[in-house]
Amino acid sequence: MMEIAVIGREEFILGFRLAGLQKTYAAETPEKLTEVIGRTLEDPNVGILVLQSTDMEQVPRRLQIALENSVKPTVISIGGETGGLSLRERIKRSVGVDLWK
Amino acid sequence: MALRDVKPTRSELIALKRRIKLSERGYKLLKMKRDGLILEFFKILEQAKDTRDELARKYERAQEMIAIADTVEGAIGVKAAAFSVGDVPQIELKSKNIMGVVVPEIKSSSVRKSPTERGYGLIGTSSVIDEAADAFEDLLESIIHSAEIETTMKRLLDEIESTKRRVNALEFKVIPELTEARDFIKMRLDEMEREELFRLKKIKARTEA
Repeated sequence: MMEIAVIGREEFILGFRLAGLQKTYAAETPEKLTEVIGRTLEDPNVGILVLQSTDMEQVPRRLQIALENSVKPTVISIGGETGGLSLRERIKRSVGVDLWK
Repeated sequence: MALRDVKPTRSELIALKRRIKLSERGYKLLKMKRDGLILEFFKILEQAKDTRDELARKYERAQEMIAIADTVEGAIGVKAAAFSVGDVPQIELKSKNIMGVVVPEIKSSSVRKSPTERGYGLIGTSSVIDEAADAFEDLLESIIHSAEIETTMKRLLDEIESTKRRVNALEFKVIPELTEARDFIKMRLDEMEREELFRLKKIKARTEA
């Protein structure tokens, strides 16, 4: 059994708390964000990690790539277009054609 | 395999022919696998697009609901309600197999709750909080669905990439080199045969003279 984790600003995670999630971590600054994300990635009980895409852009590039490629936990970024963009790049590279339109 | 390493012998030629046959068979199989994977990928892609849109829509709605709840109840009220929600939604990761690629299948439990199960008092809070919680539960379901599909896509993409690499390596590197070596041995053997024939003729002419 696994849980879903949410990391982000107070307002962002509040709603998820309302839906019953326990692993909601507030992170206001990029440094804090990086630290909390790192810790969550280590957590074996987290199956899905939810992030805000604006926050996703603030962490170091290395961590971003790690997040994009991570399968366990799966990272989902919501709000904005970036979530689709990184995937789009990968599709372009793997299939050779830009299929995401 | 560089040409100078090839020994022009008949046994080498037979071994090479066998290797070429094997490589060609592997190449055909891998090519089919690649095409199959891409076909599978197309199916997932459509779904992924739909879930992405759905996710964005539900997120917007959830944001709206929580903003309303915030205004009506005040930030403290919403927070208090949020902290009393028990019963954590659990997810279960299973795996299934698409053409040799192990992809996750995510099952979730108790995402949706009725207002009485949520844990905060019904009398102390207004319906906007219920609606916000409802919207977020909705969003959560969407997220879980989307996580499954996106992971599947990532795995498939990885597999497509490595299969493509192998197909290309066979097509453009391994098989051409092997055929080149085979042609070289054939040519050498023919040449040696002609030399031998010529030598025999020469000897015959000398003994007759």
